[in-house]
Amino acid sequence: MAAELMPGKKRITTGSVLADLGILGWFVFSLFPIVWMILLSLKNRAEQTTTYFQFSPTLENYRTVLSNQGRAVTSVDFRAALVNTLLNSGGAVLVSLLIGIPAAYAAGRWKFRGADNLLFTMLSFRFAPELMVIVPLFVIYNQIGLFDTMAGQIWVLQLVTMPLVVWILRSYFQDLPADLEQAALLDGYSRRRAFLMVALPMVRPGIAAAALLAFVFAWNNYVFPLILTDSNATTVTVAISKFLGGGGQAYYNLTAAAAIIGALPPLILALTIQRYLVRGLSFGAVKA
Amino acid sequence: MGAVTIQGLTKRYGATTAVDGLDLDVHDGEFFVILGPSGAGKTTTLKGVAGLIDIDAGEVSIAGMSMTGVEPYHRNVAMAFESYALYPQKTVLDNLASPLRSGRTGRYSSTQQRERVEAVAGTLGIGSLLGRLPRELSNGQRQRVALGRVLVRPADVYLLDEPLSHLDAKLRAQMRVELKQLGEMSSTTSLYVTHDYQEALALGDRIAILRAGRLVQTGTPLSVWATPADTFVAKALGQPEINLLVARVADGMLRAAAGAIALPVPPGIDLPAGGEAQIGLRPRDLRLVPAGRAADGALCFDGVVRLAERLGRLIELTVDVGDQMVVVVSEHGVDEGERVRLQISLEHVHVFAAAEDDETPRLGSGAGRTERSPEAAMLGEG
Repeated sequence: MAAELMPGKKRITTGSVLADLGILGWFVFSLFPIVWMILLSLKNRAEQTTTYFQFSPTLENYRTVLSNQGRAVTSVDFRAALVNTLLNSGGAVLVSLLIGIPAAYAAGRWKFRGADNLLFTMLSFRFAPELMVIVPLFVIYNQIGLFDTMAGQIWVLQLVTMPLVVWILRSYFQDLPADLEQAALLDGYSRRRAFLMVALPMVRPGIAAAALLAFVFAWNNYVFPLILTDSNATTVTVAISKFLGGGGQAYYNLTAAAAIIGALPPLILALTIQRYLVRGLSFGAVKA
Repeated sequence: MGAVTIQGLTKRYGATTAVDGLDLDVHDGEFFVILGPSGAGKTTTLKGVAGLIDIDAGEVSIAGMSMTGVEPYHRNVAMAFESYALYPQKTVLDNLASPLRSGRTGRYSSTQQRERVEAVAGTLGIGSLLGRLPRELSNGQRQRVALGRVLVRPADVYLLDEPLSHLDAKLRAQMRVELKQLGEMSSTTSLYVTHDYQEALALGDRIAILRAGRLVQTGTPLSVWATPADTFVAKALGQPEINLLVARVADGMLRAAAGAIALPVPPGIDLPAGGEAQIGLRPRDLRLVPAGRAADGALCFDGVVRLAERLGRLIELTVDVGDQMVVVVSEHGVDEGERVRLQISLEHVHVFAAAEDDETPRLGSGAGRTERSPEAAMLGEG
């Protein structure tokens, strides 16, 4: 009896064993595809469809993807796509932060006519599938010369990154006590300086979290670059899919290697700012 | 330096009216206390003066100039927030120097800044904390820093929002004394908000009592204590709370507590036979006297002690008088169950209008009609 009430001491019952098994099952189910991808990326062409776990591992696929050979296979330079995506996503996040932080502050601090409608409209960009707007966007981009350009990508990615930044940071600004900025006003600082001096430093964890999420979403976007870019500004997601071939041979092993390379930058970024991220996500976004 | 005039200040938050047509006239250099329970609109009033909220109606003037449409940073007021509102990422030194660095409170070289900060920090006893961050301070120290940020700069008006409320009782009493002695405080117009009647009575040159966004009474501590405008003010001041007994007129006497208390209807108070009123007796005005004794100009009545609680040197007695419980603060220990005689001089007996589930105005004292009309008290004369 007493042992049951001890905190931190695990009780073993049929239910808890089943629950643990359930969790284990879920992990296998969700992680196995990743394991399979890694295995696949280490197989050679001949083994990709004929072996499961026993094969002779090789790093040849990675070499191919990251060299000119890959280009020969798919007509897309994967290295250039990596650089493009980095610049696209980074640029999109930067623009979203520059415009979105003041917007989030205004939306969180001030009551103005139509504020809620405005924010809802912004969020509604995320409700509709991107395919819904892609045709008119394609026409417009062709007309004004933004097709297959970096600037065009950064612009269209605002549909993805801006709502995230504004909505996450708005809840941060709402949670900040107004007293601090008011104190700054009475100290003789203008509203802009009160914002820069007091409010902004306090939402840094939120900015880190919002920026990372926005970056990941921008990085992983597929539909916009698929339709709105060609060889010049193509991105990682599109480049990966090219290895599956079209009509011709499917290079599953190369696709796997490219996908794993493509997943690394967001992963590395997430790990670098993990400290902020956990705090940031649990503080503002969830509490809102 | 500057007088503060508030005319018809009104602020609504959605359906609730936080401040409702408030008029206040604070003289130049005065230490003016706004007293009221939470939700009375005290902080809203301060923020209205500071320009931190948009008021719905009314006007605030500082030093004779209308502040309508004037940004907070142009009003030259300093405020200590109830939450302290210290910049968390800045040291105490930078917090204190912040008003001096904005460029709107005057130009200060870094040496001058340092001098002013050190002078204020010395006065407040926080000189050794200048290098620390707010989170490394105790509440008492944070409160001093918040006060220091107000005192470090010249201002027309100091606004102090419950600056002592988060301190423990001992520190609060100590700070109350210190506040009063600060030279800057005594020379600058100050609006001080509190819900603690002792602070209000001890610090205020004058006190305004607020209830549900409306002004109930303004006056010197003495006048609001001696002649509370109504039962609300009477209950707000004093601990334990004033005893309020329902009384009925019979044979020219106001009788309360099933006839155990009989007060001659005070001269000048017009109450018809059978009319009702309330008698207010402050626990500290009541005295225990030997049984059978009666004095001229005093109201005497008997009761049985039901409860005796020692408050320290004094003892709080709950006395059963007729069918009512009367609270008395006494110096003498009395056993529970003992019979006692209570005496109170007639001018300390407050007579209020009969209650209709609400606060009622004071009609006068046991000695007669109110010496000054409530209107005069409202204007704060005397």
